[in-house]
Amino acid sequence: MGVSCKKHMLKFDPRTELLFLVLENVVAFTQHSLWVEITWVVLLLLLIIACGCTKAAGRLASAFGLCLFLQYCIFPIGPKILASSFTILVSYARRAFPCLIVGTLIIQKTSIKELMVALRECHIPQGLIIPLSVTIRYFPALKEEVGYIRDAMKLRDIHGIQKIECLLVPVMISATTTAEELSAAAVTRGIENPAHKTSMVEMKFGMQDFLCLAFGVVFCFISVTAG
Amino acid sequence: MVDIQDVSFAYEKEQGTLSHIDLQIGQGECVLLCGESGCGKTTVTKLVNGLIPHFVEGGVLSGRAVVNGMEVADTEMYRLAGQVGSVFQNPKSQFFNIDSDSEITFGLENAGVAPEKIKERVEATVSVLKIEKLLGRNIFSMSGGEKQSLAFASVYAMNPSVFVLDEPTANLDAEAVNSLRGQIMQIKKEGRTVIIAEHRLYFLMDLIDRAVFLQDGKIIRIFSGDEFRRIPEGQRIRMGLRSFTDPVMKLPCARPPGTKDGLSAENLSCAFDGQRVFDGISFSAIPGEVLGIVGYNGAGKTTLTRCLCGLLKEEGGTVRLDGKALNRKQRNRACSLVMQDVNHQLFSDSVWDECELSMPEGRAEEIERILKAFDLLEFKEHHPMALSGGQKQRLAVAAAILSGKRLLVFDEPTSGLDYRHMLGVSRMIRELAGQKCIVLVVSHDREFMEKACDRIFEMDGRRDGNG
Repeated sequence: MGVSCKKHMLKFDPRTELLFLVLENVVAFTQHSLWVEITWVVLLLLLIIACGCTKAAGRLASAFGLCLFLQYCIFPIGPKILASSFTILVSYARRAFPCLIVGTLIIQKTSIKELMVALRECHIPQGLIIPLSVTIRYFPALKEEVGYIRDAMKLRDIHGIQKIECLLVPVMISATTTAEELSAAAVTRGIENPAHKTSMVEMKFGMQDFLCLAFGVVFCFISVTAG
Repeated sequence: MVDIQDVSFAYEKEQGTLSHIDLQIGQGECVLLCGESGCGKTTVTKLVNGLIPHFVEGGVLSGRAVVNGMEVADTEMYRLAGQVGSVFQNPKSQFFNIDSDSEITFGLENAGVAPEKIKERVEATVSVLKIEKLLGRNIFSMSGGEKQSLAFASVYAMNPSVFVLDEPTANLDAEAVNSLRGQIMQIKKEGRTVIIAEHRLYFLMDLIDRAVFLQDGKIIRIFSGDEFRRIPEGQRIRMGLRSFTDPVMKLPCARPPGTKDGLSAENLSCAFDGQRVFDGISFSAIPGEVLGIVGYNGAGKTTLTRCLCGLLKEEGGTVRLDGKALNRKQRNRACSLVMQDVNHQLFSDSVWDECELSMPEGRAEEIERILKAFDLLEFKEHHPMALSGGQKQRLAVAAAILSGKRLLVFDEPTSGLDYRHMLGVSRMIRELAGQKCIVLVVSHDREFMEKACDRIFEMDGRRDGNG
C-alpha cells in the first residue's frame, strides 16, 4: 500500500477501482475471444501505467506474454503430456490477469485509509471493515518480520524443507502478539466509537472516474454481447 | 483527576498481579510508576486507560478506578479514549495506518470530529510538538524514535487530559529519549496529567512530582519528587532501579584494524536499497574483549552487524577473522546474531530440540553442559515460547555456542530490562568474553555498556533514514 500518488499521476477513487474489479470478472469469464482478452489486458496495463505502477505493469505484461507463448507456441509443438497437464492451469492463470492488474493498482496506490472510507461510503458494516483493514495493515509488518527470520535461519544454517517449518513457528507467535498490541492501540484511540466517523481524505468521483467507468461498462457490454 | 481505590487484579495467565492499590493523582501531576519487571506497573496503567477490564480477558478485578469522574469499569473504551491517551512500549505495533498523516487524524476521525476541526487540531499538534518532518511519511520507513514520536502526536491530537505512557523509551536511543522528554515537558506545562511506567529514569528525574515504587503488585512507598531524587545510590540499587543520571561512558575506543587474532573490519562500506549507509569503517575486536557499537538511529549499526555476519553484501572493504579474509558464506558460519526480538530466531518445539538443531551430530553431554551453564537445563522439555524473555535470550546464545560460533553479535540485548535483568545480561556477556568469544554489542543503553563493554566503536553516519 503506497502512501500517496505523485501529483501528476492519474488517481482514481477507490470505489472506481472496486467497481472495476467487478467489471473485469464479468469480462474475463463471459467472453471467449482471445483478441478481446488481449485488448482488455493491454488497456488495463496502460491504465495502471498511467497511475504510476510502471514496474508492476512490466512484470505482469511479461507474465501474461509468457502464458500466451506457452499456450500458443510451446504446447502445440511440445510433447502431448506437457499440453494435457498444463493447458488448463495456464488458461485459467491467463483469465486471472485482469484481476491481478487491478488488484496491483489497489494494493500499490490506495492507502488503507482511503479504502476504509470508500467501503464505509458503500455502507459495508464497520465489523467487516476493521478486520479487513487490520489484515491489510499486517502485510508490510509481516514482510519485515520474515526478513528477520530469514536472517536468523541463514545464521543457523537451516536448509530445505526445514525452512518452511522454521518460518511458520515464529511468524505465528509474533502474529498473535502483534494482533493483540495493534488492537489495544486501536481501542485506546476509540475505534469502537459508534459516532459517524469523519475523514480527512476527501473522496470525490472525478472526471477520470466517470470516463473510466463508462469506458469499462461499454467494453464489458460489447464483449459480453459479442463474445 | 485519577482515583484508584483498593484495586486488586489478577491476570489469568500473565504475571503482574496487583493487590490493594490505592492511588490518587491530581490534575496536572506527573507521576512515575517504577519497580522491577513484573511488579505491576504496566497493570496500573491499564487500570487507568481501561484496557482492564475492557480489553484484558479473564482477569479478576476488585475495587474501583475513576478517571475524571468516570468509573472506568462502566465507561465504554471509546469514551475513555477522549480523556485518556495511551502510548505503548512497542513502536512497531501501535499504528493502525501505514502513512503518518492518517495516523495523526485517526483518533479524531473515530470520534466523528468535523474535518475543519481535525485540520486545526493537526496543525496545532504539529507546531506544538515540532514534528513537521514526520508528516507525509510511510511508517515502515521511520526509525523507532520517529515512530514513538508519531504515536505521541497521534494521542496528543485527541487532546486527552490524562496521558498514560507504558515504557515508552524501551526501544529508543538517547536522542529519541530526549525528544520524548521535550514532549512530556510540553504536556506537563499545559496542565495535563502524566502517568508513566518506566525503567529508564534519568530523563524523568526533574519532571516527576511523585514516584510510586511497586513490588510484587503492592505499592511499597510513594515518594515525593524531592524524596525520590534524594535516594542514595546504594538504596536505588537495592530497589532494583536504573540509574538516575545519564551515564557517561569512559571507555576506550575500538582497536585499530588489522589484528591477526580476532575480527578485523577494514575499510568496510555498505549500501542498503541502493543508498550508501556508511563508508570506510575500520576496527578490530579481539577474543576475550567486548566491543560496544554505538551511534544514532540511522547511523547504520544494524547494517554493519548484518554485513559482519554476512547477511548483507559489502560494497567495499574486507572482513577478516584471525587475519583471513572471509566471504559472506564463511561469515554466516562464523557469526551469530542475538536479535532484539529473540522470538525471530527460536524455531523448535523444545529447548532441547533447539540445541540439537544447532548441533545435529551433537553429543548429549555437551548440550547438557551448555544448558546447565545457561541455567536452562531444568527447562529442557519446555517450549521455547513458554520461557521468559531473558531465558529465550540465553537459549539463543546457547544455540550459537553449540554450533561453534566464535563471533557473537548482540542487537539491543537490554531493551526494556530492569536493573537486575540488565546486570544478568551484562554478566552473561562478560562470561562469554571470558571464554574467548569475540563479542560485539549494539546498544543504546549506556548504563549497561559501561558495565559490559571494554571498548566502544562509535558510528556517526548520516543521521536520517532507517536504523
